[in-house]
Amino acid sequence: MSYAINALTKSLNVFHAACSPCNNCDIEILDAITPRHDVERFGIQLVGSIRHADVLLVTGAVNKKVVHRIKKLYEQAPKPVLVIAVGGCACSEIMFRDSYNTCGPLDKIIPVDLYIPGCPPKPEAMIAGVVKLIQAATKKAGG
Amino acid sequence: MTEILVSYFIFPGFLFAAAAGMIASWIDRKVTARVQWRQGPPLMQPFYEIRKLFIKETILPADGSPWLFVLAPFFYLASIVLVADILFLALMNPSLGFVGDLIVVFYLLALPAVASIMGAAASGSPFASIGASREIKLLLGYEVPLFAALLVPVIKSGSISLGDIIIYQQSYGALAGSFSGIIALIVGIMVVQAKMGLVPFDAAEAETEIAGGCQVEYSGPLLALWKLGKMIMLVVGPLFLVIMFWATGGWLILTLKYVALLTVAILIRNTNPRLRIDQAMRFFWGPMFIAALVAVIAAWMGY
Amino acid sequence: MNPMIEQIQSKFPQAVTKIYEHNARRIYVDVKPEHIAAVAGFIYNDLSFRYVIASGIDTPEAIEILYHFSHDSTGLMLSVRAAIADKEKPAIGSLTSVIKGISWIEREIHELLGVDFTGHPNLKHLLLTDDWPQGDYPLRHDNKRK
Repeated sequence: MSYAINALTKSLNVFHAACSPCNNCDIEILDAITPRHDVERFGIQLVGSIRHADVLLVTGAVNKKVVHRIKKLYEQAPKPVLVIAVGGCACSEIMFRDSYNTCGPLDKIIPVDLYIPGCPPKPEAMIAGVVKLIQAATKKAGG
Repeated sequence: MTEILVSYFIFPGFLFAAAAGMIASWIDRKVTARVQWRQGPPLMQPFYEIRKLFIKETILPADGSPWLFVLAPFFYLASIVLVADILFLALMNPSLGFVGDLIVVFYLLALPAVASIMGAAASGSPFASIGASREIKLLLGYEVPLFAALLVPVIKSGSISLGDIIIYQQSYGALAGSFSGIIALIVGIMVVQAKMGLVPFDAAEAETEIAGGCQVEYSGPLLALWKLGKMIMLVVGPLFLVIMFWATGGWLILTLKYVALLTVAILIRNTNPRLRIDQAMRFFWGPMFIAALVAVIAAWMGY
Repeated sequence: MNPMIEQIQSKFPQAVTKIYEHNARRIYVDVKPEHIAAVAGFIYNDLSFRYVIASGIDTPEAIEILYHFSHDSTGLMLSVRAAIADKEKPAIGSLTSVIKGISWIEREIHELLGVDFTGHPNLKHLLLTDDWPQGDYPLRHDNKRK
């Protein structure tokens, strides 16, 4: 099991699913692959198809129109897959929690492995979060 | 029989080509990263990616043909490994080739694209169908100038055997030194760029536009076969050009020439936008084909 | 007063009810809802304003729809306010025949505030799901949702 986690975490393909966010978190995610932070040196790449993904990166508060799509995306991702909720809206919906159109924080819809709060979270925070996830997953698998 | 199997599966076949492909893929990503002022991944990164894909689950699409879906990546990998095997053997021992093996290589080089199309057709996804139709158009586009450009070494050396072409160049100087040779080499560089599926000719695999094109539904070990095949294609493409047009020197010089052509491909990839499929076809059937014809006529006249 | 606003007022004297000039570059013109198509057509076509967006708001007196236009060469931002007094069944003429790009925002105002745009070719839900309960307009102040 720890072999699998080790193999997975050395090369994370990220699929970015935006559930109608304000796009600030999306901009910060893209910042993480720019030369200043350059997460590609850790093996993290963005991919275009959910079938190629190891990480499902979700931004934005899940609303009623998107909820069945995000569930479908989670089912379509080949396991093992890690789900990361990026930004305050995905973690807990912050100011939208009483809205008429939202469906609750992301972990009520799909299982979440990592929460990165912030509005928007800085790329350094995202990288720190991913490192914590990798350490926690490795420790849980007994590595 | 055992030597054929050892040659195909171990050296210089599958294992050797896979290792060379991973190094070539790393060179690609490192040069790309440096051009973009980034650090880039470590040397083992392509290997990590292949290794990771073997622990993921394989998902077969519901609307598509499952057996063709599974067969296509094996077909892709098998044909590209065969080409790599033939090319490496020709370089290691030019006199042991057979007459007509250039034609065999030319046809074998079209098979990976056919496998891509088969895999995309078996996926049952509209993105894959768009990827397949673009791959077909691209294949039709670049095979024409490729054929014309390959006539130049044939005319100059008077033979259709890879070994004879290499021996001719080692006696009389690289074909890239002549007028027809250099034009044919430039056409070859463009065609190989399309064959390797690199920008500006990667409309068939446009990641952001059609979500991965032909490979959109592939996951797990089958995707690993596609990726590995693509890495070996990074070896086969420029190596084929080195054999055809620049085959002088010992194995060290040949390796450096291969790396030089690979770097040219990577730099073209990093400095150009993606062409639309109709622009790409027009490019190959227009300027490239005409340039290749000019090279053929010049070669016929002796230049 | 701004010469273009004077043109509007002189051409539609019975439609324009009030002109409020917040500053030289921000002017609000109130028109009667039944004349909105003519006034908006004049502003969009003859005076060559650029249509920006429309916004709707539920006020105690009426449901107001503001149509925002921008005159880019002078920097003037003009908002045309149409106040619909009937809050039971608010209705106003659709401007899709005048400004093609207004069709989606009218769908949005329809589903969130309940305004019926007569003559709209495709008044379906835009942001809310299709099985949203009828008569439930989330942006109305008297809406029962939290």
